[in-house]
Amino acid sequence: MAILEEPIKEVVKLKNYINGEWVESKSDEILDIVNPATQKVISKVPMSTPDEVNEAITAAKEAYPEWRTTTPLARVRCLFRLKELMEENFEQLSRVQTQEHGKTIDESRGETRRGIEMVEVATGIPSLMMGYNLEDIATGIDESVIYQPLGAFGHIAPFNFPFMVPLWFSPFAMATGNTFVVKPSPRDPISQVKIAELVDEAGIPPGVYNVIHGGAEAASILMEHKDIKGITFVGSTKVGKDIYKKCGETGKRVIAQTSAKNFMVVMPDADIAGTIPALMTSFFGNAGQRCLAGANLVIVGKDDSFYNKVLDAFVDTASKIRVGYGLDESTQMGPMQSIDGKERALGYIEKGIAEGGKLLLDGRKADIIGDYPDTCFVGPTIFSDVNPEMTIAREEIFGPVASVMRAKDLNEAIEIANRSNFGNANAIFTSSGKAAREFQYRVETGNIGVNIGIVAPMAFFPFSGMKDSFFGVLHGQGKDVIRFFTESKVVIQRWL
Amino acid sequence: MKLNTASEVISFTKKLEEQSATFYKELSQRYVKNEDIFLSFVNENKKNIIQVERAYYGVISDALEGCFAFTVDTDEYLLTTELSEKTDYSEALERAIDIEEKIIKFYLDAAEQSKSFLADVPRAFKIIAKKRENNRKTALKALLRKGE
Repeated sequence: MAILEEPIKEVVKLKNYINGEWVESKSDEILDIVNPATQKVISKVPMSTPDEVNEAITAAKEAYPEWRTTTPLARVRCLFRLKELMEENFEQLSRVQTQEHGKTIDESRGETRRGIEMVEVATGIPSLMMGYNLEDIATGIDESVIYQPLGAFGHIAPFNFPFMVPLWFSPFAMATGNTFVVKPSPRDPISQVKIAELVDEAGIPPGVYNVIHGGAEAASILMEHKDIKGITFVGSTKVGKDIYKKCGETGKRVIAQTSAKNFMVVMPDADIAGTIPALMTSFFGNAGQRCLAGANLVIVGKDDSFYNKVLDAFVDTASKIRVGYGLDESTQMGPMQSIDGKERALGYIEKGIAEGGKLLLDGRKADIIGDYPDTCFVGPTIFSDVNPEMTIAREEIFGPVASVMRAKDLNEAIEIANRSNFGNANAIFTSSGKAAREFQYRVETGNIGVNIGIVAPMAFFPFSGMKDSFFGVLHGQGKDVIRFFTESKVVIQRWL
Repeated sequence: MKLNTASEVISFTKKLEEQSATFYKELSQRYVKNEDIFLSFVNENKKNIIQVERAYYGVISDALEGCFAFTVDTDEYLLTTELSEKTDYSEALERAIDIEEKIIKFYLDAAEQSKSFLADVPRAFKIIAKKRENNRKTALKALLRKGE
């Protein structure tokens, strides 16, 4: 199969999108954006100055009063246009993700589709934002709730889903009448620039949506700024906790979706043929760089033959995964997004060996399809004989490394999973409704899969999370995010 | 060649439909009497591509097993579409039926492989296979029976 054409052909320095204008940063701190598969520099990104971040926040603040009074119908018409533009540019948007992030083209298209779905759901705001009322709470007195927007919100984006994750929030923020400042990850910010181009073309008024490039300093300004009403964040637990604390001090709302260590529990009655592809996607999709990725595989039962059957199929299928450039259609797993990410994964593999894990599949020297430098590539890696106390079983690796362990029964599997500090997404593979119900009832995790490897909630459901995987009250997506972006105002009235 | 990813399979589907369209276009030029029938097949091929792409782009999700949904061996579905000068009408129709059978087999095999993993895509495959079996193959067989 041929390599699909790369959409980014020349290196340009990215601009900020502030108040409807493309503004060149005055910063002299410029980072390279590198295609992780080819190691070619594809763009340059400025680390914007504090003044520039403040300008973006001011633009969002000043755009708010007019945008807030724009009717919900008029606001969602802008989003309908944005959706149409995203559909028209679907393939280009997807290929940009592969070029800047490294994921396979199927994964990128999937990310684009999920991003568009957020915009689609947000267009339902005229219904979704309705309040409620009750006549005669006392004779002649009526009470109602109205939902109102709050002002300017900030978003600090992760690198692993450069297109989709900011869309978990931005369409809902705009549809509810708020304004928005996105700070993309400096590793792969081009997708957000492409979205801003479409926002501009869709006729969303200046200042309603802003993109500011930068790193930790820009993020700090966003979370500490008095004119920002709330922060949405997706990233590590360490940073998420810090954001939650800082925003608490300044009274900001927060959604912080953070790290994970997800358990995939395979019961003795699971359909193995159907389970293995789901496990491949779960553990090795997006090169393991997702908060919903499987990390620990728990094979349940005392039957050695079942354990060996599942393990052999898991290792055998993973060993055949085609690792390469995501724009090669035959590639099933791309590189990791950065050298840092790769080194982190390699460090954990070393730890796994040192702590007594049995390395059944070693991805440290990946067999790459095509002539690409191995700089960011890590092949599928599988450890067996892992116990829940080992570092590789407890900490988030964020790479294609699977730890296999055994549990004598479902009860033990749930206890192992619940010992984790994290609670993002666990799944059970079984043909027993009783086992699935027990798992769903007891397991301490925000998102639960039954025969599903990637438990990714749709746009109209909240993206849940518990324990060290989430800080906040309301989640991203669904009705939760609409509540997050609105204040409930209660009106009690009596006419004399 | 083995295909595993959804992207590869969708591209391969497009290739099969295009090869088939080229073949029928040539038949329409050679056998003008049945030009309308053959050109309608060409149009249908284009619609099939749209239908498959629409299903794929509409449901593809990073959460589905897009990269692990297939084990398609393209050697099983190689089409012979070239017609020599000597190929007569009956032989050409037999060739067309053979092409249809291979494409139907491809669609059904691909649908079976991906039925648990790719939402609406296998359904689109099955619909096209059924349409080919019931309409196109039947029409080709009728032409063959009727003779030149």
